[in-house]
Amino acid sequence: MSRIGVFICHCGENISRTVDVERVAAAARKLPGVAFAIDYKYMCSDPGQGLVKKVVVEQRLDGVVVAACSPRMHEKTFRNAVKSAGLNPFLCEMANIREHCSWVHEDREEATAKALDIVRLMVERVKKNKALQPITVPITKRSLVIGGGIAGIQAALDIADCGHQVVLVEREPSIGGHMAQLSETFPTLDCSQCIMTPKMVDVANHPNIRLYTYAEVESVDGYIGNFSITIRKKARSVIEEKCTGCGICSTKCPQKKIKSEFDCNLGSRPAIYVPFPQAVPNTPVIDRANCTWFKSGKCGVCAKVCGPGAIDYNQEDELVVEPVGAIVVATGFDLYDIGPKPADSPIDGYGEFGYGTIPDVIDGMTFERLASASGPTGGKIIRPSDGKEPKQVVFIQCVGSRAREKGISYCSKICCMYTAKHTMLYHHKVHDGQAYVFFMDARTPGKNYDEFWRRAVEEEEAVYIRGMVSRLYQKGDKVVVMGSDVLVGVQVEIEADLVVLATAVQARSGADTLAQKLGISYDKYTFYSEAHAKLKPVECATAGIYLAGACQGPKDIPDAVSQASAAAAKVMTLFARDQLEREPIVARVNERTCVACFYCKKVCPYGAVEEKEIRDRQGNLIRVVAYVNPGVCGGCGTCQATCPSKSVELDGYTDEQVMAMIDAL
Amino acid sequence: MNKSAQKLDVTPLVDESYCAAATQAIRCEATRLLTEGTVAAVIGYQAGRRKGTAMPTIVSSPEKAAELIFSSACVNNLALYLTKAKKEVRGKGRLAIVAKGCDMRALAGLIAESQVKRDELVIIGVACAGVYASGADRAAPLTNATIARKCRECVVHLPEGADLLAGSLPQQPMLTPLESQELARLEALTPAGRWAFWKEHFSRCVRCMACRQVCPFCYCEQCLCDRNRPQALESTPRPAGNMAWHIVRAMHLAGRCAGCAECERVCPMDIPLNLLNRKMAKELKELYGYEAGLQPQEKGPLAEYKDTDDQSFIK
Repeated sequence: MSRIGVFICHCGENISRTVDVERVAAAARKLPGVAFAIDYKYMCSDPGQGLVKKVVVEQRLDGVVVAACSPRMHEKTFRNAVKSAGLNPFLCEMANIREHCSWVHEDREEATAKALDIVRLMVERVKKNKALQPITVPITKRSLVIGGGIAGIQAALDIADCGHQVVLVEREPSIGGHMAQLSETFPTLDCSQCIMTPKMVDVANHPNIRLYTYAEVESVDGYIGNFSITIRKKARSVIEEKCTGCGICSTKCPQKKIKSEFDCNLGSRPAIYVPFPQAVPNTPVIDRANCTWFKSGKCGVCAKVCGPGAIDYNQEDELVVEPVGAIVVATGFDLYDIGPKPADSPIDGYGEFGYGTIPDVIDGMTFERLASASGPTGGKIIRPSDGKEPKQVVFIQCVGSRAREKGISYCSKICCMYTAKHTMLYHHKVHDGQAYVFFMDARTPGKNYDEFWRRAVEEEEAVYIRGMVSRLYQKGDKVVVMGSDVLVGVQVEIEADLVVLATAVQARSGADTLAQKLGISYDKYTFYSEAHAKLKPVECATAGIYLAGACQGPKDIPDAVSQASAAAAKVMTLFARDQLEREPIVARVNERTCVACFYCKKVCPYGAVEEKEIRDRQGNLIRVVAYVNPGVCGGCGTCQATCPSKSVELDGYTDEQVMAMIDAL
Repeated sequence: MNKSAQKLDVTPLVDESYCAAATQAIRCEATRLLTEGTVAAVIGYQAGRRKGTAMPTIVSSPEKAAELIFSSACVNNLALYLTKAKKEVRGKGRLAIVAKGCDMRALAGLIAESQVKRDELVIIGVACAGVYASGADRAAPLTNATIARKCRECVVHLPEGADLLAGSLPQQPMLTPLESQELARLEALTPAGRWAFWKEHFSRCVRCMACRQVCPFCYCEQCLCDRNRPQALESTPRPAGNMAWHIVRAMHLAGRCAGCAECERVCPMDIPLNLLNRKMAKELKELYGYEAGLQPQEKGPLAEYKDTDDQSFIK
């Protein structure tokens, strides 16, 4: 006969308000196999847990049912408690009489009857529970970081500084990301390049970091502690080992009029180029779509001038496999394309703002390049149409953000601050100019953020107009801004020389494809989802994969850096052990009855099922059966449901346990 | 079987002399394969003791190959002999097997479910114009009244994907699709009406398990219905257990059953099991555009999740 203890929690009044817990305890005491039952106000508290531990020992219990909240809440708590009392933790089960009972019912009689039913089911289940031992899996102590922006760089440096190998993969020819494009950064106005480029150099020089630029993650196999990553190194047409970065190829390239993506199409670059002078690595790449050699088979100037002979026109994409134990995803963001109606986008465009048709309507990043000392104008603020210095500049906030009617309901978080910064940069460079800002709210939560904003308004003379802009149109060489000032209640019309749109932060294009490769989830805007909004903000629901920076949601630099260091800390926590302990809720195949139809293998979402050969002592093949790799199994039970011969059982959720529960109903 | 109809309609349905050509082709191929040693044995049919009857046989010498036949009495699905009935022959080496169109679909299913490897088999496909219904007089020619119900609406007279084809099809008359008509009638009933229909039929079930034993897809070493810890369903022939067994059988065969209707043929209680099989196949076709046994598939629709799957049933 079993000796099961039933512990019924009041959860303050959460349960006892609708469930007569004392009656449940009294009825539970009479159940066959129950040796002890008691109710208590807060079972999860220290005295409550102490009570459980004491009774387990005193009553020599061989099973525990805690009738309280959801197992998601406190299963771990109570399993740890019974473990410390010497009982196998998997002999303890939660009977959820809160979410499944007291919270959803009003009638005390019926709720009490249901609570007792739930307790009885779990008692029957626990009778069939078996002691399970945790599974240990070895850990490959190397980490993959996807994305070489500030978040990826920070995470890579932190992990590498801790002594672990890091593989950093960047899609573009250089690391640096968006931060490398910025001129100055809020709230201190320190030069972005000055704080960013040394970190980029650190990455390049770090003995523990293997850097792949102009490369993408092709596929991801494996599981926490044991991932196998295939990386596609796109053909650079330049042999990295030979190139000295002298730059003569770029100087001599006859194609010079290609618009520079780094400079938001304001400047130009040759067909063989590094995106910006401070690029890491300082190894050029040939833009094959625009290179004369690749277009017509003639030219070859770069190959002729290259001293070390680093140009290789026949280079092909290369696939590299890297084993890693953890993955940090730091793929960053895209800026909302504010053209009339972006193709393949569920989001409506801003046709009324004439972006792309009125040359002096630009986005915030373009303004950054105009203001940057290393930008195409050398830091001189001039307007794109005629190169004149704009005397009246209108900044429009929330373009694409907080616009439910356009399809994005979230706040992009950084625009209030960078627009304030833009007004300052403008005022510093054009002393007689006037900046206007159309805004909905000024959101400045952050250390020294509000002070910064106030400085823009009070000291740097930016005129903030609360209201939205309805239309922009060209009139002569001016752009007329029609908007409303809702505080004063009047229509406003400003003839501006330049209009800057603070466009929304969006998930990277292709974020969904990468998520599917990694097996992580994302929200409706394709920002990656964290495991818990508050308590697990850097972990993915998929074990061993962590998030850093704006790929999870709009973030400014301090937030991205903090999250990157947090993700790095999580990786280091994982790497601090030699073996990984996993919950032993895994599927197991009965090899005696398995008929090798491999439906389990077909349906397994984790790729955990393998074909196992059974041989006799002479090595002759007797038969083939399915085998579940416990290190890979996610314990979802799909194979168990699919197996026609019922040869697969999920430990902790066996047919016997479930049928015992059904029979008890 | 409608006895009065049998008496009324005695006109031969097809010119059964096509079977002689098929028989000749099978013997010739079997002799060649066995002489060359390409295969260890040929699974086929031989004449039964009574006139007009046939029975499965396993031939392993070229001399014996002359005993192989094909006729309208070759009702059995020989795919069974690869998984269950004569499992030991699998150990002998490569095998040749005679397969009608419906048997071929079962073979394709078994290959997809890793029970047989295609390269371990030589499949002698045979053109088939239809076989006798269970209990029909095999001494008399095949008639409208004695042809099996499944054959009335057969779409695989010529097996697809066999290594060679024995025989050729004679002229065939159009027959009334009795099973489809019956299925349409059942579908028009209320759920309660259908329940009553099946309840009546299943109440006769004696749980002899012949339907399971004859099914090429019921190849589990231990059927879940025989398990007692925990017991999935009642094993004695009582209404609840009977209903549960037949639901399990139908569900386990959904997307796999290729419609050979052997279960219905062997049922001693005349339960129209192929109606259930046909209904399942119809659902699969309507929901997923899938037909079992057309070719060995990596995954059937019930073992696969696609973003484009119909989800309208989720309320």
